[in-house]
Amino acid sequence: MSKNMATSLVRQTKLLSIVSSQLNSAACFRNIHCTAACLKNRAARIRVGKGDKSVTYEQAYHPHHIGHRKGWLSQHTSNLQGEDGAAERVVEDVFIRRFMYGTFHGCLADEVVIKRRGNLLVICAVMIQKLLPSKFYFLIGYTVELLSHFYKCPVQIEMQTVEEKVVYKYL
Amino acid sequence: MKTFLTLTSFSPTQKLFSLSQESGRNAAKYFINTYPKYFQKDYAQPHIPCLMPETLEAQIEEASEAALIERIRMRKVKAAVDLYDQLLQAGTSVSLDVTNQLLDLICFCGDHDPAQENVPEQRNEETVESSIENNNNAERIFALLSEPNTHSYSALIRGMVKYGAYSKAFSTYTDLLNNRLKADVQTFNALIIAAPEVKEKYNEKWELIVDLLKQMAEQKVKPNLLTLNAVLKALRRCGTLGKSQAFPVISEMKALSIGLLSDHYLLLVHELLGVGENWRLLGNDFQQNIYYARFFSLLCMMENIDVMLKWYRDLVPSVYYPSSNIMRDLLQALDTDNRLDLIPQIWKDIKQLGHANRQNLVEELLILMAREKHNQEVQESFAECALDIKKIYDTGDRGKVLLSWTAGSLSDLISVLLAAHRRQDACTSQIFFLFSSFREMLKLFKTHNRVPSEELLNRFLTCVKEAGEVNQAVELVQISAGFCLPETPKLIQRVQQEFELTEQQR
Repeated sequence: MSKNMATSLVRQTKLLSIVSSQLNSAACFRNIHCTAACLKNRAARIRVGKGDKSVTYEQAYHPHHIGHRKGWLSQHTSNLQGEDGAAERVVEDVFIRRFMYGTFHGCLADEVVIKRRGNLLVICAVMIQKLLPSKFYFLIGYTVELLSHFYKCPVQIEMQTVEEKVVYKYL
Repeated sequence: MKTFLTLTSFSPTQKLFSLSQESGRNAAKYFINTYPKYFQKDYAQPHIPCLMPETLEAQIEEASEAALIERIRMRKVKAAVDLYDQLLQAGTSVSLDVTNQLLDLICFCGDHDPAQENVPEQRNEETVESSIENNNNAERIFALLSEPNTHSYSALIRGMVKYGAYSKAFSTYTDLLNNRLKADVQTFNALIIAAPEVKEKYNEKWELIVDLLKQMAEQKVKPNLLTLNAVLKALRRCGTLGKSQAFPVISEMKALSIGLLSDHYLLLVHELLGVGENWRLLGNDFQQNIYYARFFSLLCMMENIDVMLKWYRDLVPSVYYPSSNIMRDLLQALDTDNRLDLIPQIWKDIKQLGHANRQNLVEELLILMAREKHNQEVQESFAECALDIKKIYDTGDRGKVLLSWTAGSLSDLISVLLAAHRRQDACTSQIFFLFSSFREMLKLFKTHNRVPSEELLNRFLTCVKEAGEVNQAVELVQISAGFCLPETPKLIQRVQQEFELTEQQR
């Protein structure tokens, strides 16, 4: 998916830069930024296939099931009336998810759940027992220390391990 | 993955996990301090200083006393010494307090920057070379002082003792006395620690220590807990003489109402441990383990069983995981006090602590269980333990055999099972189960090439007779014949007398 995005992005920006340079010559200097087309009816959905692809519960249910059959992956109060900082929370979440994906590479069994309680940032992750427990503890200590210094708030990791990825169904 | 225990005491795996977590934290700290520019953005209101990267560079650049104080605070030994020399050359006088602080720093840190010593539970061994350097620097600065006071002397002496220049420490001490200054408690502690290194023979060492203590009393310096520790440590180096001297020392200290902590007088110690801050002196976990091991062994030897059990229930498994030797001692204590009915509980504990694969412990347990006859419920519980043990013997982890049978352990096991069987209203299913296990046992005897004893066979026979199983009896005789035991004819006689055999069986 990201490969697709990247190539179409490059193509489109090339096109746009040509268009905008022609526009620029007409004495107005405005550049246009745009992303690749992200259709909302294709987001976070795994399409039905031959039946050999295993999906977890999280992946099997589509975004319109959030609140009905799925919970939220990121929990904070900045979307309430009168609260601000929602955009910053989103950026932080994205960073934290990429960080966890990279640090515990190949060990994540499911999406990371991020909860904020006051100042405290709780990262809940389910891991496959790919590494020794002492290595897990090393990475946990490293992540907690680094993220708390980065975001200037206490960070806690709640980790659970399973033997294999929990398959919900095959699509 | 094993379930993560959430107990506070440290088994070896828990220690490993906490150490690996700590090393992860240190790796993160290394990154944070090496690339501080990525961690400068401050989201927190109010500002949280401990979450900012460490600023290791000294702020104040010009040569002044404030700059020196700052470097001392940041523990930059070399920079501080250089700055001090600079200041003296420039002609500014440095106050006595600051010089004392500098001396403290040098003597404590041993003349190299302690920035590398962030890893816990590791103590870098100071090399002899650095100690020599250190002494030169410290002595040099000391010599530059116009009027050294008690503090400077004490810093110098403690530094010398810490880095092995024991005789120099004593000569400095005589200097101190010549200048008619009083030494403080810390100095005396250091000298007491140094005392065993200076003299050769045990009595001389002890005399030196007594001398120091007397001088302490003359100078009206109160000994404190560290004094006691130092004396006892020194005594450990004094051998047998030390042991005899330890007790009067301790009683004296008690008279001065100081808290105690030592390996020698554990019971007294433990009560005082509950008092106040003494628990902090228990040191790290390894020492704690040693302490508790010795404590328990003393307890087993000296006290009666109820006290022992009270301590056991208090401390295990919340504070301490006993080793298998301790469990053996505990079993022996139970034995002497005739409280063998507690064995099943102890067996549960043994299993939980993971000692169930230790051969001698399990054998001892079996011997104790098999030795005498007890009343019925006790025997039943013994039988359950015995079956448990048998399971462990048979099915090792993934096919590995953890324990190997010996003749003694096998027969003990069987006799325990037999004894439990002697119940008036035993239901038939139980009997059949026991018989099948007997047959297995006998097979085990064969397969493991062990020979059952005569007593065992006799008991088998009586048991079989009670149950009235004739076939079993014949089988028994056949097996014993297979072993070519001398008791076979006697057994045959018994069987013939006590059973009604058919012709075929005869």
